[in-house]
Amino acid sequence: MSQFLVKEGVKNQIRKGEKLVTTHCCYCGMQCGMHIRVDEKTNKVMGVEPRYDWVLTKGKMCPKGVTAYQTIDHPDRIKRPLIKKNGKFVESSWEEALDLIERKYKEIQGTYGKDALAVYGGVSMTNEKCYLVGKYARVGLGTRYIDYNGRYCMSSAAGGFNKTLGIDRGSSLPWTELEHSDCFFMAGSNTAECHPTSIQWFWKAKDKGAKLIVADPRETATARVADVHLDLLPGTDSALANGIMHLLIKHDYVDHEYVQERCNNFEELKEMTAKFTPEYTSKITGVAAEKIIKAAHIFGKSPRSVVMFARGAEQQTAGVDNVSLYTSMALLRGQIGKFASGVATFTGQGNGQGGREHGQKADLLPGYRKLTDPKAVEYISGVWGIQPEEMPQPGVSAYEMFHLMEAKTIRGLHVICSNPVVSSPNINYVQEQLENLDFLVVNDFFLSETAELADVVLPATTWAEDEGTTTNTEGRIIHIRKVVDPIGESKPDWEIMSLIAERLGKGQHFQYNEPREIFDELRLASKGGKADYYGVTYEKIDEQDGVFWPAPSLDHPGTPSMFKERFATEDGKANLAVCDYRGPAEVQSKQYPLWLTTGRVVFHYLSGNQTRRVDFLKEQCPEPFVEMHPELASQYQIENGERVKLSTPRGDMIAPVKITKAIRKDTMFVPYHWGKKLAVNQLTSPALDPISRMPEFKVCAVKLEKLTK
Amino acid sequence: MNKIMYLEFERCIGCRACQAACRECGDHDAKERNYVEYVDFTESRQTFPMLCMQCKDPACARVCPANAIQITEEGVVLSAMEEKCIGCRNCTFGCPFGIPKFDFETNKMYKCDMCYDRTRHDIAPMCASVCPSDAIRFIDFDEMQQLRRKRTQMNLVEGKKPQEGNKWDYVPEFFGVYTDSQS
Repeated sequence: MSQFLVKEGVKNQIRKGEKLVTTHCCYCGMQCGMHIRVDEKTNKVMGVEPRYDWVLTKGKMCPKGVTAYQTIDHPDRIKRPLIKKNGKFVESSWEEALDLIERKYKEIQGTYGKDALAVYGGVSMTNEKCYLVGKYARVGLGTRYIDYNGRYCMSSAAGGFNKTLGIDRGSSLPWTELEHSDCFFMAGSNTAECHPTSIQWFWKAKDKGAKLIVADPRETATARVADVHLDLLPGTDSALANGIMHLLIKHDYVDHEYVQERCNNFEELKEMTAKFTPEYTSKITGVAAEKIIKAAHIFGKSPRSVVMFARGAEQQTAGVDNVSLYTSMALLRGQIGKFASGVATFTGQGNGQGGREHGQKADLLPGYRKLTDPKAVEYISGVWGIQPEEMPQPGVSAYEMFHLMEAKTIRGLHVICSNPVVSSPNINYVQEQLENLDFLVVNDFFLSETAELADVVLPATTWAEDEGTTTNTEGRIIHIRKVVDPIGESKPDWEIMSLIAERLGKGQHFQYNEPREIFDELRLASKGGKADYYGVTYEKIDEQDGVFWPAPSLDHPGTPSMFKERFATEDGKANLAVCDYRGPAEVQSKQYPLWLTTGRVVFHYLSGNQTRRVDFLKEQCPEPFVEMHPELASQYQIENGERVKLSTPRGDMIAPVKITKAIRKDTMFVPYHWGKKLAVNQLTSPALDPISRMPEFKVCAVKLEKLTK
Repeated sequence: MNKIMYLEFERCIGCRACQAACRECGDHDAKERNYVEYVDFTESRQTFPMLCMQCKDPACARVCPANAIQITEEGVVLSAMEEKCIGCRNCTFGCPFGIPKFDFETNKMYKCDMCYDRTRHDIAPMCASVCPSDAIRFIDFDEMQQLRRKRTQMNLVEGKKPQEGNKWDYVPEFFGVYTDSQS
């Protein structure tokens, strides 16, 4: 069977002696379609060819996507298991590595109990793998301590959506509808850099006259062309959203019929937003009152609008509030559940959507089932072939696991598909906890900063060496094809987990020959849950350009548009958010008088473990920088390109300055894709949102110092 | 080849996917031949892409003393032929758009060939294929003309001056398409 999928009339370049394998990018939640070029004789990966007929991205790619294939057969790949002996990694056989893991796992669990081992997962891998990480922790290891890097990425969106809409699907509408929208309200999203291929849809809409409102402390590429740029102080989103809703109510832009029929809490919301006059909102957010008013009128008048947000609004101690309030803006306007309108978050990781649905989260089981629900435990236990009593209790969130390592509750850790020593906040503390572990196992295909600390590194495969599915930012389940066989002795994560489970006497629960079998089990495990995949098959995905969940039965086509009739709450009504402005956990002081915010650049992905190794991307952006306004720079007598020191009570770093007027005067921006001395996450705040337990990466008070020559 | 390379600077988001993609073209030796630059980063993030204009009577070819720069029957201006290029760099000085690149190690010029092995089969060049913002497009002549007309039409539809921050702010006042209303 050909692995090359192409629609009629679409022309691709196929070079002599090569074949194309149709798949998707490994990086962000856009999951851009692509074909990978493979030499037919040598079976080597040769390059990339645009997939012009992929419905969402039309062949378009960002520079990460174009060069993604270069990570597959990269010279830095770990090809054999590595065991640390006398502080140095020594290549070993799988047998030896597994022997050691078995011995240490049994030793730790035998002495300190099952929960002394923990699992730290990730969502830059297929649904099949993400699902299995949850099962591996709970059945294979029998530990309650499992969480994943999505805690830093999507958990506030999840919290906010669950609270307001009753279900956490990243987008209430398919993004192919975006070109028909009249207005986008985007908060805390630098989409031109973080999800570049989404831009085609916004620009298409703009060609037809759509309005754009962007809330961001920086004048990003989208903010620059926005009809209104709300240049807010980091951490003040909830005040801004309340302020906009105040005006929507004042100027009667509320869709009363919709709110009456489909929403709770309108009176309470009205009461809460009463004090958020443009003047009051302006005082908190630092955005001129006229801009807030202008934005409210544009948004209020637009017949079809989409409210969108990303980590800027979510990575705050008020992340859940922010998401709930922004979602409520869309609800007040009666937008959710209709054509070309609604609400969406930009998913940062490739499978940030699917990876959070199937039980990698400390308190969730597959299909968004709750670990605290006895019925859910009973059902999943049945699928997994264990007794309900054997199911571990809920654990703690990703960052809180490091506290438990400090307390010696957790003594061994298995990191799968993540690099927490770069991507966590306050990483000097995180590094210390990882160093103090009795035993650390890391699966990765490059030696990440976290892998460097490991006792055993197991060589995983890249996305192109395994089949499976991911769920993109829209909630569309798509098909990732295997392009080449695993490089060296590397193995896909699902096989690694199965091998370890086997060693621990749980092999009967992990009898898989291929990912499809895991997917079939996932389908069953999610059946009847909120994120229901039962009706999704690999064939259906190929036939209909992906399947949107929920798809509860085999004859169900999937659900591109959510909430047409009712919301997923108990009473079917959406809960408008009634939240006051709380402010970030840190305040400016004499010692730390400025604001620091972090984010991505277009050339790098997450902790940079992959993209920092790709020539083009490395050339374009070799090191972090401090972006600041010329007015701020002149107060400190700092010139463009000069290296400066930034510090918070948690750590400091030195980086060159990039001067631009495209940022607030009181805020600096540093991208977070580097580790060790180049890591801005040495400085970031570990304060957590009380509901989502997401750290406040986006706001901290910081000191800026000019270095003496 | 009846297609047009169509650039709209203001759509550019500065991602440089076009440059990464340029390296992927078969004959490109993993070296990009296009440019993305900031207008002025101190002022704003606006960037713009630059590609070879594939001039009808290209200055680069005219000033080449070795006749090394060939033009295909479709009108694509190719890189200097390896065996003819004498490395004088006249082409780089002659080109009004600053397009030809010069490899000082191998002492020869190289430039955009519009991904000739793709475009001669009517497959879009790599840069236009991947450009996420449609700042670079490879489109039919008719579509190009339609796009030109559309710019004016948009303002007629709106019947008003583009507002502050409106990136489609391009129609000069004397076109007379504006009303006075600023609402």
